[in-house]
Amino acid sequence: MERREFLKKSGVLLAGTACACALPLLPAAAKSINVDSENTAGKKWGMVIDLNKCAKDCNACLDACRKENNVAMHGDKRWDIHLIRKVTLKRKHPAESPEISVPLLCNHCERPPCAQACPVKATYKREDGIVIVDHHRCIGCRYCMISCPYNARFFNYRENHEWPNKDNTRSSHGVPESCNFCAHRLDKGKKPACVEACEEINAKALIFGDLNDPGSDVSKVIAGNHVRGIREDFGTKPKVLYIGL
Amino acid sequence: MAAQNNNMEFIIMIITAVILLIPLGYGVVSLASSNDTQPFIEKPDEKYDKCVRDTEYMRLNHMDLLKEIRDDAMRRGKRGEITLNDCRKCHTSRERFCDKCHNVVNAQLDCYGCHYFPK
Repeated sequence: MERREFLKKSGVLLAGTACACALPLLPAAAKSINVDSENTAGKKWGMVIDLNKCAKDCNACLDACRKENNVAMHGDKRWDIHLIRKVTLKRKHPAESPEISVPLLCNHCERPPCAQACPVKATYKREDGIVIVDHHRCIGCRYCMISCPYNARFFNYRENHEWPNKDNTRSSHGVPESCNFCAHRLDKGKKPACVEACEEINAKALIFGDLNDPGSDVSKVIAGNHVRGIREDFGTKPKVLYIGL
Repeated sequence: MAAQNNNMEFIIMIITAVILLIPLGYGVVSLASSNDTQPFIEKPDEKYDKCVRDTEYMRLNHMDLLKEIRDDAMRRGKRGEITLNDCRKCHTSRERFCDKCHNVVNAQLDCYGCHYFPK
């Protein structure tokens, strides 16, 4: 064999071996990119907020959330945590209602930018569509807060000293927080605290349920009304939808 | 002259051996003088009937079990029959149960920043 021939053949052989060795890595790489599990079987939780029924001066859902999830309230807007908050929206159209009060919470996007940004996979999307942060794994880098287009994430800059609901955890300082649709309650078959509070005062502005089930309350509301998510042009596919936005 | 040299070497050898054996001797003496090398753990309250696993398993592997429960609840949404809240039904106090051993082996726990467990 000539020297040139030998070098050629050994090069081909080496490249082939390298490709064969890299084969098992391929599915792993694909998995880490794919955070969109739209086709997973089972439930997909979603919420519809009817702004026509939501009273401007009502804070029942906010209070219920604070009590249920031990959310820190320091009395200083730099450090306050809001899993659900209300903002007043001023608009020109329609003219008869120039101001509306909109409850804002984590939108539980179908393509969550926070989960894509998280370097340690502490923020991730569960199979039922809930975007959740695992505080055990979180390193407190705050990338999720930067990437969230809805400003739904809040960082625990300070230690929280309130603990009204002892059966649930509170957040220690150094981790971000956002609404998780009360995942601990959903796992036990209960509804989120805000939805329950809204139903208790008979406002029924928050409608919660399974988007996969066509017979559920949310699916019926979505089918019968014109619903919109916030900034749908981002392509994040929010699962918190609004009537009358 | 040669005999004296041998003597010196022997003495140095003995001194070295003594120095090397000091830590071992210290350990043996301290072990013999302290009667209870293991921290005394109290029996849980009257409500206690049976733990979720047997005592020997819990003594060695409770941390693995807790991590398993944590991952099930956090990552898979399976909130099964065992929770940290259930542990505190029998093991009513942090000081009486967790801290007893963890202080001895100097293992710092950071569970209680977020999870409620009475002191």
